Amino acid sequence: MLKRILELRRWGDLIRNMVLRNLRVRYKGSALGFLWTMLSPLFMMLIYFVFLRLLKIRIELPELLTGILAWSFFSTCLSDSVAAITANPSLIKRTAFPKLVFPVSMIAANLINFLLSLAVLVLFIAGYAVFTGYAVGAGWALLALPAVVGLNLLLLFGLCNFFSCLNVYFRDMEHLMGILLLSWFFLTPVMYPIEKVTESRSGELLLNLYCLNPMVPVVTLYRWVFLGKIPPLVAGFWVSIGITLLLALGGTAFFLKREPLFADEM
Amino acid sequence: MDAIRAEKMGKKFRLRHCAGEAREKAWLRRLLQKESRGDFWALRDIDLAVRPGEVVGVIGPNGSGKTTLLSILAGTMVPSCGELKVNGTVSSLLELGAGFHPYLTGKENIYLNGSILGMSQAQIRRKYDWIVEFSGLGEFIESPLQAYSSGMAVRLGFSVAAAADPDVLIVDEVLAVGDESFQKKSSRQMRHFRDEGKTIVVVSHDLNLIRDFCRRVVYLRGGRVVCDGPAEDSVGHYIRDVHSGLLKGGAGLKVRHEWGTREAEIVSAELLNSRGEPAAQFLSPEDITVEVGFRAARELPDPVFGFAIHDAAHVLCFGSNTQLDGAGIPKISGAGRVRFRLKAPPLLTGSYLLSLSIHSGDHLTTYHRQEFCYPFAVVSSRRAEGIFSVPVEWEFGRETPKGEKP
Repeated sequence: MLKRILELRRWGDLIRNMVLRNLRVRYKGSALGFLWTMLSPLFMMLIYFVFLRLLKIRIELPELLTGILAWSFFSTCLSDSVAAITANPSLIKRTAFPKLVFPVSMIAANLINFLLSLAVLVLFIAGYAVFTGYAVGAGWALLALPAVVGLNLLLLFGLCNFFSCLNVYFRDMEHLMGILLLSWFFLTPVMYPIEKVTESRSGELLLNLYCLNPMVPVVTLYRWVFLGKIPPLVAGFWVSIGITLLLALGGTAFFLKREPLFADEM
Repeated sequence: MDAIRAEKMGKKFRLRHCAGEAREKAWLRRLLQKESRGDFWALRDIDLAVRPGEVVGVIGPNGSGKTTLLSILAGTMVPSCGELKVNGTVSSLLELGAGFHPYLTGKENIYLNGSILGMSQAQIRRKYDWIVEFSGLGEFIESPLQAYSSGMAVRLGFSVAAAADPDVLIVDEVLAVGDESFQKKSSRQMRHFRDEGKTIVVVSHDLNLIRDFCRRVVYLRGGRVVCDGPAEDSVGHYIRDVHSGLLKGGAGLKVRHEWGTREAEIVSAELLNSRGEPAAQFLSPEDITVEVGFRAARELPDPVFGFAIHDAAHVLCFGSNTQLDGAGIPKISGAGRVRFRLKAPPLLTGSYLLSLSIHSGDHLTTYHRQEFCYPFAVVSSRRAEGIFSVPVEWEFGRETPKGEKP
């Protein structure tokens, strides 16, 4: 498996061009172009903020924005993943290159958007801290950003490989993905601070189970990196990171095993 | 070492039972039973060895497995059984302009398409000017592809593909793209590849093109190799199968029966029976009259009108022309008619094919030839084997033993 992943290096130029195609096509013809990458999370943040006020859920804006950015990176990748293979029947059937290029370049294109939006996030946090006196506990933790992004990418790599491949055989995945993402969204601390869970009296076991969601470490670690908020370092948290690694391996293995037959199924 | 070597190679597809079957049902069934009953072998027992520099054509009716074979050779599909070994880099011209996106400019698409074909960024940059030049797109190269005509997009696709420099080239029906002048250019490029010693495998329905371009042709039928040999043999075998009705419903089959410079053109031809009525069936040994209408684009001196009769297996039965028959025509120009009568042709019952031609007196230029274009049937009261009827007298006698007195 490693050999076939390393083979991708030979196709680096192709991945680069696919990423460029992805980004160019996405923003062609829209007046604000790349700006949307930054604007839409900001709008989303404001909408959520008003809505959460009404529900009396207290969450600081930087915390909310961090969660929204991490989540939209994740959910965009996952919803793009189902079509990553099936939307390219002619390329699958008529050209010979490792099909991993499709999910990988899709994730890479979204990653570029995500990294740019993180720059906006940093500016936002700084501005917010200056104007409201919000205490940002971040500092050295920022150095861990590459590692956290790495963990995030491992999770996406595994899941996107799995779902892009699954949709070749089971097209209903396209429709199920929306439902899956919606329920996943509520199980992930995006709209609420993690303390809502850690401080509830539902018990240690439930907290551990909650942390098994691989997106819990990802989101809470981003909040640690940018805001210095300590993640819930319970057993479930570490198991969850282990699950992420297993998903990355399993999803990719599934993809590579099925890859030779993609052309037959399209 | 062979460039391509396939041994006992086969490809199996699972049939979707009926088009209306819900996908999830198919999926469930596949989970429950590993081997679906609806398996279909698109290719079976393919043995193919192609030497480096060899040019191999692949022909056959629709659904004979040509495209599957190319896909496997190009590496987009894996064989279900058997061995395949391809030495050297492969480039497939299975689809021109793979990955082209209408929003991207010609230039951006060149880089995208080039890397899909396996070229590196540096390689594409080196060939970039050549590609633009070859495509003839000029300054259009900077506008998005959606502004292109379909012909322009195809030209660009071919140009990128031609710039890839593989050892083995897999080509599917792409020799005739774009307008006439680009077609000339692209076929010149293909010939250039051939003369450079690239290994080429090409599929086409255009039998004349295959015959011209390849020395060796593989004829596939029902997923098996029927004939693998010199172009003339395989193409001939295929045409015979088509005409003998062995290949039923040869829909989409483009046997181009005609060729020539068209300086003089056959515009009509009619077979008439002994009563002078148009007919497709004749009662042997009835006279068959053929009336040919022609039009000459310019004045042609010493033209020769010819015809040939083949049987259903494409065996030549009889042929002649105005020159051989001493019916010389000094010159033709404009429209005219030629009529010839086959007097009591002694043909036996069967179906036959009439070919017509107009060519120059020195036989160097074929103005127009219509090969096997006019089928007709002959019914003969004579029951015998073969194609023509010869009156026979039998005699019977008893040998008288020697020494015995009669």
